[in-house]
Amino acid sequence: MRVHVDEATCQHHGQCMIECPEVFQLAGADELRYVPEPDESLRDDVEAAADACPTQSITVT
Amino acid sequence: MVAIAIDSPDIPWFDVGDPRFSVSSAEVREAREQHWCARTPFGLAVLRYAEVSTLLKDRRLRQGSYAWPAQNGIEEGPLSEWWSEIMLSKEGDDHRRLRKLGNPAFSRTLIERMVPEFQALANELIDGYAADGRCEFVSQFAEPYAARVLCKLLGMDEGRWHDLSTWSTDLGLSFGVTIREDLERIEAALANLYEVSDELIAERREHPGDDVVSSLVQAHDGEEGRLSDIELRAMVSLIIFGGMDTTKNQLGLAMQLFVEHPDQCALLAERPELAANAVEELIRWNPTVMWATRQATEPLELNGMLIPAGTTLHLLSYPANTDPLAVGRGARFDITADRPPHFGFGGGAHHCIGHWLARIDMREALPLIARRMPGPRYDGEPVVRPVSGLTGPVRLPIRFDAEEAP
Repeated sequence: MRVHVDEATCQHHGQCMIECPEVFQLAGADELRYVPEPDESLRDDVEAAADACPTQSITVT
Repeated sequence: MVAIAIDSPDIPWFDVGDPRFSVSSAEVREAREQHWCARTPFGLAVLRYAEVSTLLKDRRLRQGSYAWPAQNGIEEGPLSEWWSEIMLSKEGDDHRRLRKLGNPAFSRTLIERMVPEFQALANELIDGYAADGRCEFVSQFAEPYAARVLCKLLGMDEGRWHDLSTWSTDLGLSFGVTIREDLERIEAALANLYEVSDELIAERREHPGDDVVSSLVQAHDGEEGRLSDIELRAMVSLIIFGGMDTTKNQLGLAMQLFVEHPDQCALLAERPELAANAVEELIRWNPTVMWATRQATEPLELNGMLIPAGTTLHLLSYPANTDPLAVGRGARFDITADRPPHFGFGGGAHHCIGHWLARIDMREALPLIARRMPGPRYDGEPVVRPVSGLTGPVRLPIRFDAEEAP
């Protein structure tokens, strides 16, 4: 599984961190850190994160 | 840098508690020219785009209205209990658990599937008065549209929309400055919303479907027992409340913008593909929610200012969204404009959970209104709710160029 966050549109609301803190973590006001190739076992939570993102900035493939 | 104290006399001052105070006043615009924040009798007001953006998402701040009933002397009883149970009042792991259960119900994909229903409903309502060339827009469009959309989402009987909408409006009084005087009415509405929620929960437990309430019931009844009875009822009543009054007000405010900017209304009629951007733009210039409140849980520093723990911060989203530093000087309502995101749905952990519902149902309704109600103008004075909690017209008589009878 590959995760990509569009940093041009991400507004750092942190809904992804609510859905899947194992992969997404806010670091300060303007930085999101994430695991680009998380374990397949996290797929449901990662997809929930992409779905919940208010700016729809997350792509999962 | 020399630290600036939050009570420095160099910072502008205004009284957010004054009944005549308006977030859209010249006083607030002038303060925004002078400084990024203003002192108030109840904490600091934040006025500019960049600072509101940072603070809305800062996890060191908690949602600020959690103690609102208690601050008004309401420390026990049904409203106090409801208030302490709802997601808006929770933080950290408690909030995260509820939000994770609630988010899937409002997924963009699910809401997009309802588009044909939104269009049919908007057309049905306009059909009711199109040939007359006039209507009272709040009771004939905004209120039934917002309330019936929510009934559809929850799989409730649409015939009950009027009661549900009235109770939602009454419960909304709890966010206003007259919470104490309105308490009896608020608690009566809450009892009614609880009754409806309980019926709905019982019905979905019996006959589960693929709707929001069924998924919450399953989360509740799951082996981990993740939602308690009280939480389940609080969540369902919060969804009914949160989705009706907001969109009703925002549609009324949209119509007022169309009356005041006829060129924009005509443009949307001609180019319905601008509707999604038009929704963002109207929330920027005429929002029903004008500010969000937060409270610092630890000391912060921003632009050299020391903000002590416990400070209340009024994040004035309306002045921030129209900040010349973000949208340019002299900017005006323009549905073609490409602008930075607004904060009309709040932000951070408490970002409005139902924003796709609001965005998509208005995106479908507005071009139909613009096309089928061309040239809207006031047909009598609009009656506007005082700016407290949610803003918006309560009565909006409109005339427009009537459709030819078929």
